Amino acid sequence: MDFQLTREQQMLKDMVRDFAEKEIAPKIPSYEEPEGDFPFEFQRRMGELGLIGLIAPKQYGGNELGHVAQVIATEEIARVYAPFGSHTRGFMLTTYLISRYGTEEQKKKYVPRLVKGEIAGCMTLTEPTGGSDMLAIQTKAVREGSVYVVNGRKTMISRYTANDIFATTTMTGERATTTLIAEKGMPGLTLGRRDNFIGCMTRAYPCGEVIFDNVRIPVENRIGEEGKGLGPIVSTVAAIGRIGGAAIALGIAQSAFEVAAKYAKERHLYGKPLAELQALRFWLAEMDLKIRAARLSLYYAAWLLDQGKSPRETAKEGCGAKYLCSKTAIDACLKTIELLGGYGTTPEFGVITQFKTALDTVNAAGSDQVMLQTISSELVGG
Amino acid sequence: MNIVVCIKQTPDPEHFSKITIDPTRGTIQREGIPSVINPLDRHALEEGLRLREKFSGKVTAISMGPPQAREVLELALAMGVDEAILLCDKAFAGADTLATAYPLAGAIKKCGTIDLVICGNMSVDGATGQVGPQLAELLDIPHITFVSNVEFRGRRSLVVKRELEYGYLKTEVELPVLLCVVKSINEYRLPTVIGIMEAMRKEIKTWAACDIEATSETIGLAGSPTVVTNIYERKVERKREILKGTPEEMARQTAAKLHELGVL
Repeated sequence: MDFQLTREQQMLKDMVRDFAEKEIAPKIPSYEEPEGDFPFEFQRRMGELGLIGLIAPKQYGGNELGHVAQVIATEEIARVYAPFGSHTRGFMLTTYLISRYGTEEQKKKYVPRLVKGEIAGCMTLTEPTGGSDMLAIQTKAVREGSVYVVNGRKTMISRYTANDIFATTTMTGERATTTLIAEKGMPGLTLGRRDNFIGCMTRAYPCGEVIFDNVRIPVENRIGEEGKGLGPIVSTVAAIGRIGGAAIALGIAQSAFEVAAKYAKERHLYGKPLAELQALRFWLAEMDLKIRAARLSLYYAAWLLDQGKSPRETAKEGCGAKYLCSKTAIDACLKTIELLGGYGTTPEFGVITQFKTALDTVNAAGSDQVMLQTISSELVGG
Repeated sequence: MNIVVCIKQTPDPEHFSKITIDPTRGTIQREGIPSVINPLDRHALEEGLRLREKFSGKVTAISMGPPQAREVLELALAMGVDEAILLCDKAFAGADTLATAYPLAGAIKKCGTIDLVICGNMSVDGATGQVGPQLAELLDIPHITFVSNVEFRGRRSLVVKRELEYGYLKTEVELPVLLCVVKSINEYRLPTVIGIMEAMRKEIKTWAACDIEATSETIGLAGSPTVVTNIYERKVERKREILKGTPEEMARQTAAKLHELGVL
């Protein structure tokens, strides 16, 4: 058993931390503006540094460093600015889906450009009637010769204004899901209203509706077989969505802890630092314990994937990591906000910014209850 | 253009507050303090890489230190240097700046004809700023310290901007030369993932004292003319005085004190 990061992974961690602290942190106030353009420079830099390609095959421009590397990069970026941690996961989702389950033509067409950050994609799954319950979606695709005609409305789509391709789940029959790659600019594909989730009200994180009105998507844009689109989606959500979501939450928890520990040492109350008050130092100890436990759980789940286990085989570990990391993030943020007193909710300390994303992260790629449902199914069946 | 960049592994400045001094043994306690590349040396590497990109050629990074110093050379390789050399030998231990400059000079001479040597202006731990100039003397080439800009006029002549306390000085110099650079010279690049992966596959040459034909009297403790006789923590005590009286009286007392101290 070896708990050490490899030298390669440690250098990756140092590089991403440097990138996040030097290039992202100074711009956070600007990113938090409610209006303005999506910060494409982040997407381009992610591509230049090779961070989108961590889980993509070398033959399509990736570097195959693996899922532990994916977790390291996502955690380090989320530690500084959680919304970009979410984008890190988002960039990897479509890249993984296409590079693993796409046709050779799709891989050649999209993956090299996704990896370089020249284009970005998103999973276009959730609808008002269904997210985790993927068979409840109502977007329909009807085959007409060499195209599918798609009609429907998707919601909660991350970076909905900034994506170039949309990996869209559709129904092509009863309990038959088909995944199609829609491209920006296809006639009938329009953007609907912007969602007003608490973490999505900034220019850095536009989230909203994508509407399909008789969008004609070529058959060659289908991922997998017709009617069997669910498998690739579930695997991708498990391997990247859940693991990535857990890494975002872990980065948030870590950042909250660092703020709390620093403040507790600097802020004096009744003539001594907060850190000398037993009640508060025990908070710090508990936060640290929970973060370390969550981190071990997550790194183990990612390591299993790197050992060649399938997302299906690691469902229990992946869901467990996501559950633990989400709970830890929420807990660490709330404790830190309380510890900071009146400063807890000021943007200067950053915790409230991170907390907004933590609240959204809990439900992205499956709520805590969905995680428990999956774990319990693994344990006792049903 | 054949460029050598000298780099050093130092304690992480972010953790300097955790460094303590053992007053009885007169030694620095740095257990548990992470090590990083000397911050200015990243700018030295960046300048070397930029000049190679402009003029083509080769950049070699050299560091002297214990086996773990290879980490800074791995970073240099990940940033894009062509070769990395670690000077590692127990005989080098206890070296002062001159006994550091000797092995570095020996290694550089072994690398062949060099056009340019670049160093960080000083290390963040020792902070003497002496190794660069001493190295230049040993190589018998000119050196310029506090370099904030390098502009080439042709392939062999360059104008170097040197930061001074109240301004700057521009100096024209011919290659070969040794430059000690400051932070403002450039924004250093981050290694890419591919760069990191390639660095892991590249060889780091390890040279001992015998490989650079260093004699025992020029290296390590024996080669160090300076001796650290004492290390102590400087205590700074602030004078405190509590003024009493009405606000007006205290204001007058404050003004009188400031006059007395020559502040007003």
